[in-house]
Amino acid sequence: MKNIKYLIASLAFLTSISCTDDFIDRDTVYSIDSENYFNSESDYYNALIGAYDMLQSSYVNVLLGEIASNNTLCGGESATDVIGFQQIDDMIHTPVNSNLKDVWNWMFAGVNRANYIMEFQDKTNFPGKEIIIAETRFLRAYYYFELVKWFGPVPLKETRFELGDETSIPRSPVSEVYALIEADLQYAVDNLDYTAPQVGRVTKGAAQALLGKAYLFQDKFSAAASILENLILNGPYDLVTDYDTIFENEGENGIESVFEVQYTDVEGAGFGCLQCSEGNVAVGFSGVRNYNGPLFTSGFSFNVPTQDVVDEFEAGDNRKDVAILDIEAWSASTGASYGTGYEHTGYFNRKYLPRVRSSQAQGDLNLTNPNNYRAIRFADVLLMAAEAFNRGGIDDTKAQNFLNRVRERAFGNTSNNVSLTGTALTNAIYHERRVELVGEGHHFFDLVRTGRGTQIPGFTPNKNELFPIPIEEIQFSNGNWQQNPGY
Amino acid sequence: MKKTLFSFLLLIFTLSATAQEYTITGNVTSEQDGLPIPTVNIIVKNTSNGVTTDFDGNYSINNVPQNATLVFSYIGYTTKEVVVANGNPINVALSEDVEALEEVVVIGYGSQKKKEITGAVSVVSSQTLDEIKPIKVEQALQGTVSGVNVTTQGGAPGAGLDIRIRGISTNGANGPLVIIDGYQGSLDILNPNDIDTITVLKDAQAAIYGTVGANGVVLITTKSGRKNQAPKVSFNTYTGFQETTRELPLLNATEYALLLNEAYAAGGQNLPYPNVSGLGEGTDWQGEVFNNNVPIINHDFSVSGGSEKITYAISGSHLYQQGIIAPKKTDFRRNTARLSLGADISDKINVKANVIYTYLDRDAINDSGLGSVLFNAINTPATLSAFDGNGNFTLVPSTPGLGIEIINPLAQIDNTFNDYDLRKLNGTVALEYDVLKNVKLTSRIGFNTSNSEGKSFAKQVDYGGKVFDVPRSSVSQNAINDNNYSLDIFGTYNNTFADAHKIDFTVGTTVFKEFGNGLFATGYDVPNNSWEFADIALAEGISESRDVGSYAYDERRLSFFSRLQYDYKGKYLFSAMLRRDLSTKFGPNNRVAYFPSVTAGWVVSDESFLENSNTLSFLKLRASYGILGNDQIPSNGFSSLLSGEATYVFDGALVNGQALGVLANPDLQWEEAKKFDVGLDLRLLNDKVDITADYFVNTRDNLLISNISTSGITGTSAPGSGSPTVNAGKVENKGLEFAINYKDQLSDNLKFSINYNVTSLENKVLEVNNSTGFLEGGGFGVGQPAPSRMEVGQPIGYFYGLQTDGIFQNQAEVNAHPSQSALGATAAPGDIRYVDINGDGVINFDDRTNIGDPIPDVTMGLNLSLDYKNFDFVVYTFASLGNDMVRNYERTLSDANKLNYVLDRWTGEGTSTTVPRVTTGATSNNVFSEYFVEDASFVRIQNLQLGYSLPDQFTDKMGISKLRIYTAVNNLYTFTKYKGYDPGASNGAPIGGGIDAGFYPIPRTYILGLNLNF
Repeated sequence: MKNIKYLIASLAFLTSISCTDDFIDRDTVYSIDSENYFNSESDYYNALIGAYDMLQSSYVNVLLGEIASNNTLCGGESATDVIGFQQIDDMIHTPVNSNLKDVWNWMFAGVNRANYIMEFQDKTNFPGKEIIIAETRFLRAYYYFELVKWFGPVPLKETRFELGDETSIPRSPVSEVYALIEADLQYAVDNLDYTAPQVGRVTKGAAQALLGKAYLFQDKFSAAASILENLILNGPYDLVTDYDTIFENEGENGIESVFEVQYTDVEGAGFGCLQCSEGNVAVGFSGVRNYNGPLFTSGFSFNVPTQDVVDEFEAGDNRKDVAILDIEAWSASTGASYGTGYEHTGYFNRKYLPRVRSSQAQGDLNLTNPNNYRAIRFADVLLMAAEAFNRGGIDDTKAQNFLNRVRERAFGNTSNNVSLTGTALTNAIYHERRVELVGEGHHFFDLVRTGRGTQIPGFTPNKNELFPIPIEEIQFSNGNWQQNPGY
Repeated sequence: MKKTLFSFLLLIFTLSATAQEYTITGNVTSEQDGLPIPTVNIIVKNTSNGVTTDFDGNYSINNVPQNATLVFSYIGYTTKEVVVANGNPINVALSEDVEALEEVVVIGYGSQKKKEITGAVSVVSSQTLDEIKPIKVEQALQGTVSGVNVTTQGGAPGAGLDIRIRGISTNGANGPLVIIDGYQGSLDILNPNDIDTITVLKDAQAAIYGTVGANGVVLITTKSGRKNQAPKVSFNTYTGFQETTRELPLLNATEYALLLNEAYAAGGQNLPYPNVSGLGEGTDWQGEVFNNNVPIINHDFSVSGGSEKITYAISGSHLYQQGIIAPKKTDFRRNTARLSLGADISDKINVKANVIYTYLDRDAINDSGLGSVLFNAINTPATLSAFDGNGNFTLVPSTPGLGIEIINPLAQIDNTFNDYDLRKLNGTVALEYDVLKNVKLTSRIGFNTSNSEGKSFAKQVDYGGKVFDVPRSSVSQNAINDNNYSLDIFGTYNNTFADAHKIDFTVGTTVFKEFGNGLFATGYDVPNNSWEFADIALAEGISESRDVGSYAYDERRLSFFSRLQYDYKGKYLFSAMLRRDLSTKFGPNNRVAYFPSVTAGWVVSDESFLENSNTLSFLKLRASYGILGNDQIPSNGFSSLLSGEATYVFDGALVNGQALGVLANPDLQWEEAKKFDVGLDLRLLNDKVDITADYFVNTRDNLLISNISTSGITGTSAPGSGSPTVNAGKVENKGLEFAINYKDQLSDNLKFSINYNVTSLENKVLEVNNSTGFLEGGGFGVGQPAPSRMEVGQPIGYFYGLQTDGIFQNQAEVNAHPSQSALGATAAPGDIRYVDINGDGVINFDDRTNIGDPIPDVTMGLNLSLDYKNFDFVVYTFASLGNDMVRNYERTLSDANKLNYVLDRWTGEGTSTTVPRVTTGATSNNVFSEYFVEDASFVRIQNLQLGYSLPDQFTDKMGISKLRIYTAVNNLYTFTKYKGYDPGASNGAPIGGGIDAGFYPIPRTYILGLNLNF
């Protein structure tokens, strides 16, 4: 037994010189702890880039905003190509839909990246911080506005959501969601200038326009009319003379662009993480299948315009040939070849078709198209203002003026100007929004917010105005959240 | 009385013979390798007259009476007795006693006699390794050890293999811990010829390894020299020729054109091939990509020996294998050098050192998944030729019917350029100190250090609008440095009290640290668009995006362990182990883990009631229970880091910022494996029959589920972010193992042994504590929901899809069935009929259910060896029953080529109940369903070998002790109904394994080899 003592003693000695439990206390090498950040201006700026980053994932909102409406059919390779898109097109979507889940997840990721900054907004002070905070709040409002448009009531929080919040934080009523959006945007309006420090960053004009839009979506016409008119009068924006140039690369961030989501093709991307792409994924999805010819490059033939929207254009409207590519006519005149996909209509969404690429473009080229998304154009602002003045019963003359500014450019003359009033004017504005903004992801929401959802084939009133909460989220919430009506 | 008389006469006779005494000389060699054995004890039976052999195995013993018996004995060899008839020299060959119960088996931080082992432990000897001739060590465990299943990740040279001990227990890392001579190492680059034994710890016996032992432990002992042994030189070489084991039966050009015409007509489109005459067979794309007589060569050389105080072993090896696809671009080269030294510094102190250097060079093509060379060979129509009129590669047209993923596989091979080199040094230095009688201290340090370089060249290439088009050439390079060390200090105390109570006590500590870094960069615009110029040094083009990256890591583990072994007269055996682990991988709230275990055994055959049994020579019952851990989880899962991607565009240029990475879980802890085992070891008929049987229940609790699906409101879908790793699952594996070995010597010229082992396995998921109750993984087709799930009550990784019920034969059947339009298209006659599992009157994705799983119900091995005179013959077979596989190598597009089973398709009422119609119109037939799940049970003849050793009279003249030539065939044949290339392949993923996107088939290899010892 003495031997054992001897053994233990010698081992204890050896152990004590070799190691103690401190051995495993080590800092993670070359990494930054998220809870120990925001120590300088550049930390705030870097986190702000993260909050902007999620804007690029809103490509799917734009694409689905068109597909869900009566503007386009889903298309694609076959009836089962991206089944979630197909179901939304046919208005037979259910809570089981991975693409709707993407919208939910990616927009909340945007909210959370903004909230990360907001959570630490008071940690470090530096001159000009209010600009970064204002941009952050704009972005949070932008993401929340998408969420409320798609899903209605959603959970609200002004710091990061944590695991478990899904079971305790309720879905706030739409009015409360809008209250936060309005507060965030008002802060942005108050703290930003019409010119941003860098192209692509949020301006006062963007905040005013989005705030006006948020008011309009709530039918707060006078508030909308006021802020939008203020923007029209004081902002540096104007219509581009030639509608055709807006959607080409040279037209990016032009005078008509109030807010634009920035994309580039200098970084590669893959299907494994579409939200990681720095390119506009919706563009490749909308491209002509197996296209070979001038000006454009090929894509996956989703989001194909219907005859209905093509017929919506009046004779003499210069916008038609910019917005709609008639592939048969184009092929006949240029010799371009193309394939036909599912639900081929012969039309393509020309504004956001993939253009011929630079030699710098990184693959997968279908996923990295550099076309910026013109999220809020001045034409949209004019039409929103027209709608606010008209539907609010405030001033139909002003409404006509704003509407006719858009029409004059479209027709290149004043002879197509509208002099209607009242409901007739309202319908003229609705018509104008559809043709002016076709292919830009607005139409579905314009229809449902004005009670015209039944124009969409398969639309069920009191159900399809909102999309269902993803089934996974209902399950995660463990009874905390109820599904939207009808789903 | 008669007896007494007889004894008396015998005594007289003996005494008279005393006058006839000889001096006997001779030589003692080993029967296995023909080498001399020094220090063999030779005594005249029943006397004290004895000598030992010298360094060269020679002996000389005086005063040996006629008819006396000489007894030759040496540890580890079967004792042999020879009666002396006259004074002629007596040369004796001793056979190694590998099966003996006295054999010592390593069990981790020590060793134990086989007889006394109370856990489920299997041993593979170097002889088995010799016979199987594995290219990689893992292959030697397939079919030779019950409870162990090995799957290949494909047949490409150097492709990885996965070892699963007693099933798949976790959705995370399932690979066992590998310990080489005491230190943590890896099997995949070892030279099989350097290995002496492989020991597999399958149950709670492995608990001494605590938080790293849950997946079982593979202990490797490398070869070393023996004391007082003359230099033993051995040279082995073989050359082999490889070919594919399988080509899929694809449509030829005419069949293809006719099928397309039918499909187009059914879809209301114009016929693509109005005239099929003259198309003939077309191009055999598999024939174009597969090669025959592809070489593999292997040489290895070793010298070992020892003096009284020093032992040494030196070896070197060279292996070169080309692939059966693109031999020049898929090859594997492995060179190894090894030095093993042992020295007694004093009576009490022994030091050992063992160092292995490995150089590895592997080049590969895309060999798995959508876009692999085989995927393209399968899907490219036979109507296309490989080359156009100008000798350029034909482009596969970008049409809707062919999609944008299929490219000419030969062009793909031609445009593939990569290189991977690894240089690794691993080894150990150990010191053993006999501090006192009964007390021994061991201190050792083992290390691995490796540097690898990878380079891949993306050639600027245009396949005509395919996803594999590369508009701008680039070269990506990386340099990775990985290091680790294990420091063990432990002491053992053993003693026997009152000749009955034997105690063995071990206590010690292990410090483990791994650290390293990786550096990645890409350069653009490679000069001349050529591999010769593909280096960042020359590729000076820059990209606007960040094209460099790096990582570094530092992970540590600190462990204390103790083990008490006790037995009473070698009959009642008992051991208990306790280990305490700390690891940098665990969260701050769960820093320390304790792992206890107990094992017990009862040698029933030592009891008096069995002692004299003629049939039963040994019987032991044993049982074990213990808790082990698994810490193979993502690092730093407990802390929240800014590792997300934050990239946007300001002023028209990329800007990079910071964003949240994977969410933290401060409660993160190890997985906990509860292992229960009862077993028996039985030997019958003078040890000719050896049986081992085990029943086990392994429950893995607190499964680490990484990126557990969580509510999207936490922002986990952002680029670079992710859900936390959470301990949230539980999986149970139950099974039976049975192994029987029968060996016998039928005559002096003929002996044989036959070994059969079988393992049954039942896998069940008991808990998945995320909100959905399941995890999903894997991929099927393009844009389809995940096909594999881990879900409560089901086997882990089961296939989740629609059940089929034949084919709709007519419109009446379609009308009578619930609508299938929610799947994407309204059904028509000739379409697959799906089962309305939930009975809601609609067929949709809610009707998905369990349609198979990739886990075999039963695996077995049957191995036979036969020696007749100078010939030797072995055959190793392996069978896996009840494993399913998903056919996912078909691009389900109208114009892609197809397997010829579509010739049996439905073409009208009553024509087929299994294969649906073809049409270019929309159908739901390509939705993931039972139609794509196949029984992948198989029986494989893994190895067949016939050898011939030159008779001694020739070899002696040449001064060599053994010369053997042999011929062998590896993977001779696989019996299976599975349609794809390899029913035994898997990507190794617990969820998403068994999905076949065109696995590179394992090659059949014809080998010619030579063994030379002197």
